[in-house]
Amino acid sequence: MAQILQYLANGLVYSSIIILGSIGLSLVYSIADFANFAHGDTMTVGAYGSFVAFGLLGGMGGSLLGLPLGFYVSLLVGMALAAAIAVLTHLAVYEPLDTDSIGLLITSIGVAFVYRASLMGIFGTDFLQYDITRSGPIPFLLDTVGVAITQRDVAIVVSAAVLVGALHFLLQRTTLGRKMRATADNPDLARVSGIRTDRVILVMWVIGSALAAAGGVFLALYSQLDPRIGFGILLVVFAAVIVGGIGSVYGAMLGGLLIGMIHELTPLLGDIGIPIGTAYAPAIAFVIMVAVLLVKPRGIAGDLT
Amino acid sequence: MSALDVGAFSAREKGVAGLLGGVGVLLLIGVVSGALAPAYLLYLVSLSAMYMLLSMGLNVQWGYGGLINFSVAAFFGLGAYGSALLTANSSPIAGNVSPVIALFGGLLLAAVLAVLIGYPTLKLRDDYLAIASLGLAEVVRIFILNENQWTAGSAGLTGIPLFFADWPVLGDLSYPYVFTVGGTAVFYMRQPVINGLLNLVLVAAFVVGVYLFLRRIHRSPWGRVLRTIKTDEDLAETLGKNTFAFKMQAFVIGSLIMALAGVFYTHLVLYVSPPDLQPITTFYVWVAVILGGTGSDRGAMLGGFTIVAIQQGTRFLNDAVQLPIGPAPLRLMLVGLLIILIVRLRPEGILPPERELIWPDAMRGERDE
Repeated sequence: MAQILQYLANGLVYSSIIILGSIGLSLVYSIADFANFAHGDTMTVGAYGSFVAFGLLGGMGGSLLGLPLGFYVSLLVGMALAAAIAVLTHLAVYEPLDTDSIGLLITSIGVAFVYRASLMGIFGTDFLQYDITRSGPIPFLLDTVGVAITQRDVAIVVSAAVLVGALHFLLQRTTLGRKMRATADNPDLARVSGIRTDRVILVMWVIGSALAAAGGVFLALYSQLDPRIGFGILLVVFAAVIVGGIGSVYGAMLGGLLIGMIHELTPLLGDIGIPIGTAYAPAIAFVIMVAVLLVKPRGIAGDLT
Repeated sequence: MSALDVGAFSAREKGVAGLLGGVGVLLLIGVVSGALAPAYLLYLVSLSAMYMLLSMGLNVQWGYGGLINFSVAAFFGLGAYGSALLTANSSPIAGNVSPVIALFGGLLLAAVLAVLIGYPTLKLRDDYLAIASLGLAEVVRIFILNENQWTAGSAGLTGIPLFFADWPVLGDLSYPYVFTVGGTAVFYMRQPVINGLLNLVLVAAFVVGVYLFLRRIHRSPWGRVLRTIKTDEDLAETLGKNTFAFKMQAFVIGSLIMALAGVFYTHLVLYVSPPDLQPITTFYVWVAVILGGTGSDRGAMLGGFTIVAIQQGTRFLNDAVQLPIGPAPLRLMLVGLLIILIVRLRPEGILPPERELIWPDAMRGERDE
């Protein structure tokens, strides 16, 4: 039982990362209308940006949830960097294109390669780790429920929840959020209603990429950092978006939670005697995605926005 | 390609032919001056031809049928692994089977996977197909990487024979092979050169066979239906065509051609390992197809040469000058920039299909007038 709780706890951490990635991917899918294969590498760009910033800031100030305050500042730096690069890419690459969503999809693969090649060129391909000492599991939780959760895990889940909460507030309570929902729902109608959809698209790139960068930073913090992490997780993020229903931000959150949990519950199969190793966790997420596509092409929450 | 008179070629085709000819002359000068080993040149040409095969396979799916297949690497890898597992003496399951029989083993494996991947995904929207096929290709790679007991895992397979190893005559040439005229040796070839030549003959036979086959089916009623599906699938369905069946057939045919390239790769490099199945392989082929011109088999040839130029050129460049960026990231960067630039500047590719769509008789009639 404690073992299952442990998997669920890991799942919650991993889900937080997937959710941060899938929201941005879903936003691009609904507003810019293409499957953005560069999204995973945007996560990596953000992670490297924050890694460099953290190297400069170091253990600035006190600490929060076992992480120095400098880390949170560097997280914001990484998010800002990824947002700036995504906006630049949109203006320089995607916007001048006279092509359909398939052309954009293919172009985004080129963009992904350029991002990754640049990172490999600058930082090399070695694994990097944040210079933050890893603390053991929180003793209280280990003693009472027998689940090993580190402060770092808590920090990831709480930060993700704060970011997702902020996005929810933005979408539901602000004029900008209403414009974004209107544009996602029907761009032409939004435009004739006087919404400057080109600006909304820019905002969408900023928000989507900043959240992706946060996901990348937490992924690097959770395991390690190398130029492939983003592309490696991209397919799982796609699975979350599709399971949740393309174009639905809340569906992406739900899909992210589901896929993240399934990903981390894979060892359970081995425990109950099914010989499928943890290496197949992304594969299982993927097969589930294809199954959902066949049964419910609009996703489990395709009608929510 | 049936028209041999130069007058039938467009200015762009002549330009491309001139460029390729120029590169060919440079390479020949390299060989004659001793800077380039003849066996290596043969290897480069064979590799280009292999990429051409892959591009032609993708052309059937994307060029003719509009199917976004991002699992090229999986079919290529299954062809390679299928034949390697049967022929290699280090194979964990079978081993030491004749390469000719193993060829069909590799193709069979790819056909089975094509149906398995195609059945759920070909019903999906275009962009879903892209995501699903890339994901399923990763599943294949993860499987090969992890199932050591069947695939030898990350170590890869070695001890693969040459394709002609057990053929009469071709299999037991003595090395170096000496040509004699009236008892005096006039010319001799070392083993790598002979092997290189045999490989080139093999892949040339594959390419010509596939090219003729594709030209035939492309001009058939089947090809016309497929082009209709690409342009307007609803229209094809309204006309009573079972579009799913046509798409599945195109998917399987294209996958078989990719697997054929994989089988050849096995016997060319004599080593296969899971990194051969990485997504980058898929996107090399995509670059070759969209650069050459979607749906154009002459374009596939140009694309194949370009890919080998990127792969091998970056290696040489790295040896020659100190670059701030390693050869692997440089290749990735070039592929990425090429994709962006092609979609931006020439979405139809350098040699878009023209004559491919027209019966030769129709062309002749036009010129007689």
